[in-house]
Amino acid sequence: MASGAPRLVVGVDIGNSTTEACCARVDDDGGLEYLGSGLAPTTGIKGTPDNAEGVRKAAGQALADGGCRWPEVDLVLTNEATPVISGLAMETITETVVTESTMIGHDPRTPGGSGIGVGTTVALADLADRAAGEDVLVVVPAAEDFEDVAEALVAAAHRGVGVRGAILGGDDAVLVANRLEETLPIVDEVTLVDEVPLGMLAAVEVAEPGRTIRTLSNSYGIATLFDLDAEQTKMISPVARSLTGNRSAVVVRTPGGDITDRRVPAGSIALRGRASTVSVEVDAGADEIMRALARIRPLVDAEGESGTHVGGMIAGVRDAMSELTGQRPDEVAIEDLLAVDTLVPQEVRGGLAKEVAREDAVLLAAMVRTSRGPMEQVAAEVRRVLAEEAQRVLEVEIGGIEAEMAVGGALTTPGSGEPIVVLDLGGGSTDAAHADDDGEVYSVHVAGAGDLVTTLIDAELGLDDKQVAEEVKRYPLAKVESFFHVRHENGTAQFFTEPLAPELFARVVVLTDEGMHAVPGRHDLATLRHTRREAKRRVFVVNALRALEQIAPGGTLRQIEFVVLLGGSALDFEIPDMIADAVAPHGIVCGTGNVRGSLGPRNAVASGLVAGHARRRRVSGAA
Amino acid sequence: MTSTETGRPERTAEITEKGPAERGEREDEVVLGISPAFCSFFTKTISNIPLAEVLREVMAGVEEQGVSLRIVRVKDSSDLAKIAHRAARLSGSGIGVGILSRGTSMIHQKDLAKLSNLELFPQAPLLTPETFRAIGSNAAQYAKGESPAPVPVQNDFMARPRYQAKAALLHLKETEMIEPDGGIVELDVSIRRAGS
Amino acid sequence: MTSTDRPAQNRRSTRTEIIEARPIQLDGFVEEWPEVGMIAMESPYDPEPSIRVEDGVIVEMDGRERSDFDFLDQFIADHAIDISAAEEAMALDAQEIAARVVDPRVPRQDILHLTRGLTPAKLLDVVESMNVVEIMMAMQKMRARRTPANQAHSTSARDNPVQVAADAAEAALRGFAELETTLGIVRYAPLVAIALQVGGQTGRGGVITQCALEEATELELGMRGITAYAETISVYGTESVFVDGDDTPWSKAFLASAYASRGIKMRFTSGTGSEVQMGNAEGKSMLYLEIRCIQVAKGAGVQGLQNGSISCIGVPGAVPSGIRAVAAENLVASMLDLECASGNDQSFSHSPMRRTARTMPQLLPGTDFVVSGYSGVPNADNMFAGSNWDPEDYDDWNTIQRDLKVDGGLRHVAEKEVLAVRGKAIRALQAVFAGLDLPPITDEEVDAGIYAHGSEELPERDVLEDLKAAKGVMDRGITGLDLVAALEKGGFRDVAENLLHVLRQRVSGDLLQTSAILDGDFSVRSAINDANDYAGPGTGYRPSGERWEEMKRLRHVLSASNPEQEVE
Repeated sequence: MASGAPRLVVGVDIGNSTTEACCARVDDDGGLEYLGSGLAPTTGIKGTPDNAEGVRKAAGQALADGGCRWPEVDLVLTNEATPVISGLAMETITETVVTESTMIGHDPRTPGGSGIGVGTTVALADLADRAAGEDVLVVVPAAEDFEDVAEALVAAAHRGVGVRGAILGGDDAVLVANRLEETLPIVDEVTLVDEVPLGMLAAVEVAEPGRTIRTLSNSYGIATLFDLDAEQTKMISPVARSLTGNRSAVVVRTPGGDITDRRVPAGSIALRGRASTVSVEVDAGADEIMRALARIRPLVDAEGESGTHVGGMIAGVRDAMSELTGQRPDEVAIEDLLAVDTLVPQEVRGGLAKEVAREDAVLLAAMVRTSRGPMEQVAAEVRRVLAEEAQRVLEVEIGGIEAEMAVGGALTTPGSGEPIVVLDLGGGSTDAAHADDDGEVYSVHVAGAGDLVTTLIDAELGLDDKQVAEEVKRYPLAKVESFFHVRHENGTAQFFTEPLAPELFARVVVLTDEGMHAVPGRHDLATLRHTRREAKRRVFVVNALRALEQIAPGGTLRQIEFVVLLGGSALDFEIPDMIADAVAPHGIVCGTGNVRGSLGPRNAVASGLVAGHARRRRVSGAA
Repeated sequence: MTSTETGRPERTAEITEKGPAERGEREDEVVLGISPAFCSFFTKTISNIPLAEVLREVMAGVEEQGVSLRIVRVKDSSDLAKIAHRAARLSGSGIGVGILSRGTSMIHQKDLAKLSNLELFPQAPLLTPETFRAIGSNAAQYAKGESPAPVPVQNDFMARPRYQAKAALLHLKETEMIEPDGGIVELDVSIRRAGS
Repeated sequence: MTSTDRPAQNRRSTRTEIIEARPIQLDGFVEEWPEVGMIAMESPYDPEPSIRVEDGVIVEMDGRERSDFDFLDQFIADHAIDISAAEEAMALDAQEIAARVVDPRVPRQDILHLTRGLTPAKLLDVVESMNVVEIMMAMQKMRARRTPANQAHSTSARDNPVQVAADAAEAALRGFAELETTLGIVRYAPLVAIALQVGGQTGRGGVITQCALEEATELELGMRGITAYAETISVYGTESVFVDGDDTPWSKAFLASAYASRGIKMRFTSGTGSEVQMGNAEGKSMLYLEIRCIQVAKGAGVQGLQNGSISCIGVPGAVPSGIRAVAAENLVASMLDLECASGNDQSFSHSPMRRTARTMPQLLPGTDFVVSGYSGVPNADNMFAGSNWDPEDYDDWNTIQRDLKVDGGLRHVAEKEVLAVRGKAIRALQAVFAGLDLPPITDEEVDAGIYAHGSEELPERDVLEDLKAAKGVMDRGITGLDLVAALEKGGFRDVAENLLHVLRQRVSGDLLQTSAILDGDFSVRSAINDANDYAGPGTGYRPSGERWEEMKRLRHVLSASNPEQEVE
């Protein structure tokens, strides 16, 4: 290679979602001076020729940042962009079913009165026909006016009918209760009030504000009210269990009535390792699946039992990936799985008031490494696009394995040194690489990262809105307590001189870069925060440990000294701390990388590519 | 007897003035401000909902939430933002509701600028008794520091040819009823079935 | 009278029931109340015309001493009325002036010489002495531009830029000379304004576009060349309504000069009914107050005005002679030599007959923009709250033009041409979004957008991403030239050139002339080089030649040579 002036080298890292670049001058002895950095969204699927546009933008930015122009560029280095693609699927494995409307266990915002009442269910229209001395619970359609209802109840009571409580369709319980002469328990907003069975013995319970019901959530309480024997009490126990924690409830004693918390046969999943295959039932839960996976690791492929939920789930993941990569579905091999247990709110089947139960579900993230095919095509397209910019043919090289380059970049973090482990926290997968004292690099990819966290938050909060879930994941929360102050999730208050926007009033908000956004729905701050942190823990902490175990010398974490966190999720405001806390007991120093002392966890691979090139020059120059 | 427009029993509002309105101390109250001619010259909204029914629904919406309500008449203005904002400033919770005779309504908070609001219901012809119940309910929830989902607002571009001139006429009439020195008076309101 | 003759209580005739069920019954009508201004025109409380000039200053106008002037009086007296013409013009009888305005043999220029010396009350007297046919006769002569034109609205209930681009392209292809948009979510404006511009230039090079917003952003989009003109600068006829909007005639004039200084076409907007609607008519008729607005526009030096009641049309529409007053306000704008974009742009009536009749006083004589605008999207998508005309009426409009041989600016276009231009517009926008790093437009959106009637047929966009990108457009300083570059780079050279031609107008300034539009080869057509020369039968603009042949085409016309087929 001809010696002479320093060469202008551009390093480009095509990632799953972002393309990063840096530019540097490298002289003949391998001396290296970084000039600028750039970042652009990856165009197209990683590892396809569509990436060239993103490369043009990121590299262009890096050059502009360094005060250089395209025609000056001598060499462009790109990573070996083997796409790691992940897929997600979720299946609920339990289901609450109510038959013959035995119970109404929902929590209306404003039930009326308090106490417990037992009687026969009777329609409001038939109340006038009831005889004195009879104990009744009055069932009221939504269209009835609260004043009329109250008058009818009072009139019946005056006739000597034992009115013990009421079940209303509309949101009128307080209004009716306020117009009665005695305090009665009243449950309202029972959407399908017309389907409440009539002429049956039933009980209504309403607790004082701030308290929960005590009798109908206790099997023996129900047994006492309905005079049940031991066998019948056993039958009724799921009802009591499902009403726990409510402020109000109705239980109707119907002959065939039942509530079941049945497990949905989800099917089994077959995990194929190099030596053996293990089959595990999905409804055994995530822990069981992950234990099985650990037994047969490394995973060669996974199959779901056909005709079952999990069969459909795995097939869906496989189809999605085959569509992305252009490989045939049967060529797509799932190389890692992460199963997470979760609870998702689901409407109760057979319920009369849109009751919601939190059902068990398993969320699966699967990861596929596509065959290393078209990298040369990517390089060719990059060459073509960059030639337009430079007005001449540029030298474009595939500059090295991503993991090695990431280590190279991470080592530019002040205070780091070999041996080193890097953890790259991405969107689809969590990657670890380990460089030993000799500079030998081992790497591993595990399924599940930022996207999985978003999905968990979305499902567990019942948001059904990925955008909102993404914001809940990314930003701290606060509660707007007045137009002039908010209470942050750490308990501190912040005051404002200008009033906040009206739509934020009394809401829980996320503190985004663009200001506060209200979180829709009625979740309180504590629930939102807990859900967010649990989701991050179950994905990032679990995966960090899993990846480190696989890469640690001898498989023991104690052998690792330094862990440097890289990637987009390393910019998160709490994930790095959560991981650091989790590995601290193993004596590991863990922190977020600061590539080249200034770029934080960004640009590691791009910087590593250039550093690698400089090292090779030094070696060849010396020889 | 039932009102032809709503299919409900006809009700009347009996309103007596109790004297100048004062700022409330209770944190669990909402103040409803009504316009000069509400339930005096005018008896129904632009779409013929009896104003007694409007009052009753707002009152019920607040009561169901376990919050108390005071009703005042702003006699010296027919400007909805002004009425709602003044009600909010009289309210111990800082939450006020303003309603004009034609039905146009607004939920306000005392710290907001007058021209801002928490919720605005500009299309009076599209408001129903259920909307007024929801307005009361939401105002009460704000007063409790909760964050209710805003009451859905409807829109209909053909409301203009039908109601634009009537709205102007009702506004002119209401403006004519202003008593410039009338201030804000606290009211005693009881809603009765007609004839009872 | 015998008992059998007396109608039974509550019993109605079948005919009454049928009439009661007609759409007209859904419209609202009210009695006049002149004391508070609920009257269209001919109010006993409007002032008598008068003028007194001392030392070159108007010291009394319409019965009011200068010391009692409100700020509109003062602005009009000092800036709108030509004192050198005033005393001669004011001395003439109003009916005599009206006769000259209507008389085809009195040249338009002679009328302009008179009208610039008239006070608001005198102008009112002049038009009050005309019936609606005379108003139309007068409009035929007084319109500034010889060739009439039309304007379309292109909006989307979801602010979807894809829909706006496609409908803008179709509207341009169908003949509209101007396109206007506005937003549901204001922050979407930059993307929708870009879509309108790209779609418009794809449909027909030289269409000019605007985006109605609060004044600062509207001006900024214009300065950047993302839009080409502005229209929604509102003026009002009483001081109190002006003040409620934190404005004065001077602040509006200042804004007008900001546009002019950057070479951007603009006009004001006003209309009968706005003052009484807000309860501040000060006891004057709607038309009198509107004439004050027109003179404020004249005094501010803007070239034109959009009037014809606009968003308050339900108010004059509900009182006697209200639609005649609306025709008269258009005429007064033209009599003061302003470009007149003559309304017809808001949902007006449930009755199709009334909707049509309401537009005749503008369509028959022709105005600078007969409809301002005609909804180029279904009314459910019209973010100006619905127009008097929408795409479902396209063939009705074309047929009325053909029946009466009047030019309403539109033409019939075969479906395959419409589909082609819609597709090209969305693809051009797709290229612009890609080139400017805006959220991508998918091929699925392209396909849906080509065939869609309304926004609900399009895939939903990622609104948060779009809003973020829209903010980026403003933060990054993107201009019309960036759109040109992105179009060129994306392979839409012809659209890029069209847009560049429009942007060049900012430098040449020709679009600042009264009633200026750009024709197909980017020449400006305005009151200067296409002055109205109507002087009676056989003169002035009449559809002829290629344009008339184009107007003869409809969707279904039987072929004379082979009646079993339709003309292509």
